[in-house]
Amino acid sequence: MSERQHQPLDPAIEASLPHVKVDDLIVCLKYYVDETQAHICIKDQHICAECDPKPCLAFCPAHVFEVDRHGHIMVSYQACIECGSCRIACPFHNVEWQLPRGGYGVAYKYG
Amino acid sequence: MPDRLSYDAIVVGGGPAGTAAALVMARGGLSVIQIERGRFAGAKNIFGGVFYTHALADVLPDYWERKPPFERPVTEQGYWMLSPDSALRIMHKSEQYRQEPAGAYTVLRARFDPWFAAQAVEAGALLITRTTVTRLLKDARGFVIGVDTDRPDGQVYAPIVIIAEGVNNLLTRQAGLIASDLPPRYVALSVKEYLSMPPKELQARFGLAGPREGVAIDIFGDATLGLPGTAFLYTDQAGISIGVGMLLEEFVCHRLRPYDVLARFKNHPVIRPYLEGSESREYGAHLIPEMGYDRMPRLAGNGVMVAGDAAGMVDALHREGTNLAIIAGKAAAETALAAHAQGDFSADFLSRYRRDLEASFVLKDMKQYRRMTDFLDSTPGFMGTYANLLNDAALRYFTAHGIPKRSMEREIVSLLRERRSFTGIAWDMLKLMRAMRG
Repeated sequence: MSERQHQPLDPAIEASLPHVKVDDLIVCLKYYVDETQAHICIKDQHICAECDPKPCLAFCPAHVFEVDRHGHIMVSYQACIECGSCRIACPFHNVEWQLPRGGYGVAYKYG
Repeated sequence: MPDRLSYDAIVVGGGPAGTAAALVMARGGLSVIQIERGRFAGAKNIFGGVFYTHALADVLPDYWERKPPFERPVTEQGYWMLSPDSALRIMHKSEQYRQEPAGAYTVLRARFDPWFAAQAVEAGALLITRTTVTRLLKDARGFVIGVDTDRPDGQVYAPIVIIAEGVNNLLTRQAGLIASDLPPRYVALSVKEYLSMPPKELQARFGLAGPREGVAIDIFGDATLGLPGTAFLYTDQAGISIGVGMLLEEFVCHRLRPYDVLARFKNHPVIRPYLEGSESREYGAHLIPEMGYDRMPRLAGNGVMVAGDAAGMVDALHREGTNLAIIAGKAAAETALAAHAQGDFSADFLSRYRRDLEASFVLKDMKQYRRMTDFLDSTPGFMGTYANLLNDAALRYFTAHGIPKRSMEREIVSLLRERRSFTGIAWDMLKLMRAMRG
């Protein structure tokens, strides 16, 4: 990634961040869910198990990635808004990412 | 294969670059198929909200008569520098902006893009929606000769393919025009909400005289936690487009949730009153390619050209992108027309496309701001430091303390020195100038 060292965030700023439930945001979105085919999946769960601190849990704007009871990454591809962040920002390039089949996925009403 | 589906040109993508290309080629007499993966052109598209009309006029001189679905003309625009509890605002409003068609309008893409695509269809292009292009087809010489889609027997052939697939440049990579994926350091992730509000209320809050006025504000500093990035607040016809964008790397390194950053921004004491009572209608996110001039893909290969976000055609500093995309789509289309006239689809002949763009503002601007992303990345505290500083200085300047003004001035200077040495400031300014001058 970058050569520069990232300074930790100012604790006051860190504390000022609210914790938003992303479900409240994506509830307005129109999706055409492809029930038969997931367009994103994890290539190798072992790599995720070793990954610390799993940045995808935070940076995904639709919170598609979550850890289950067994420590596996679950992928709620149904909520994906197809931005492509996980495709390029997974530190181990461990996300298999395709475009949804034609007509499926998110359909913006405003955009 | 006599029964195979063949056209003069294939366009992948129904955004501004793809539609401009389809329109210009169709008008030039080519048979054109434009393939869009969404349910309609624009279904997958979202941006902050300001659209510049000069590029549209370039491909559709009579666009105004065709009633484009614009939201509001931008009659006032500028910057707000936020500290955690204050804002310093630099706004420009002018009667000059009120002449229509205006130079800039706010736009909602799921409304605008279908309208634009319909103009290409009217010009004779065939628009196929709900169809994802899965790969490029090449012949034995390595020339791109068509695309495969996710439809049954979905191969389509043409001697020229224009890739306008957007920021997720899977086909551009497959074409061999770019070697590797974009690193998160050179891509911004933007999240946005569209909030609805009755026009009268909106106009009262933003000081707009009526539906033919609108505001576009770019916001720095505390909006992005002082990290490299920008936020925006734009007025639509009956709503507000609000969002924040930062380099994807920032979200990764600081483990930030984009929607938390947006919610925090919306709750800023200066921002919140403008949004009060509005209703959230839609949330979305999109990547913005900010790799700049030096990391753009090659723009042409044998039988193929690439335009728009897929080619990294973005001027982040001036929030421009759709206009660059339209001009590039048109330039690619003109090269395709010339290639058909000559019967030459080689990379060599198609390199004319790049030369045309080098001569236009598209690559000139990209060249000028080639260091912008690196500048922000190398001075991560820049926006936060100076936004806070300006607000603190303004507070001292505007407050009567009962102390001599000379002392107030000294206080401001020492404020400055506490946070950044004079040599540090000089260095920052030098780097900024370098990034601006190119």
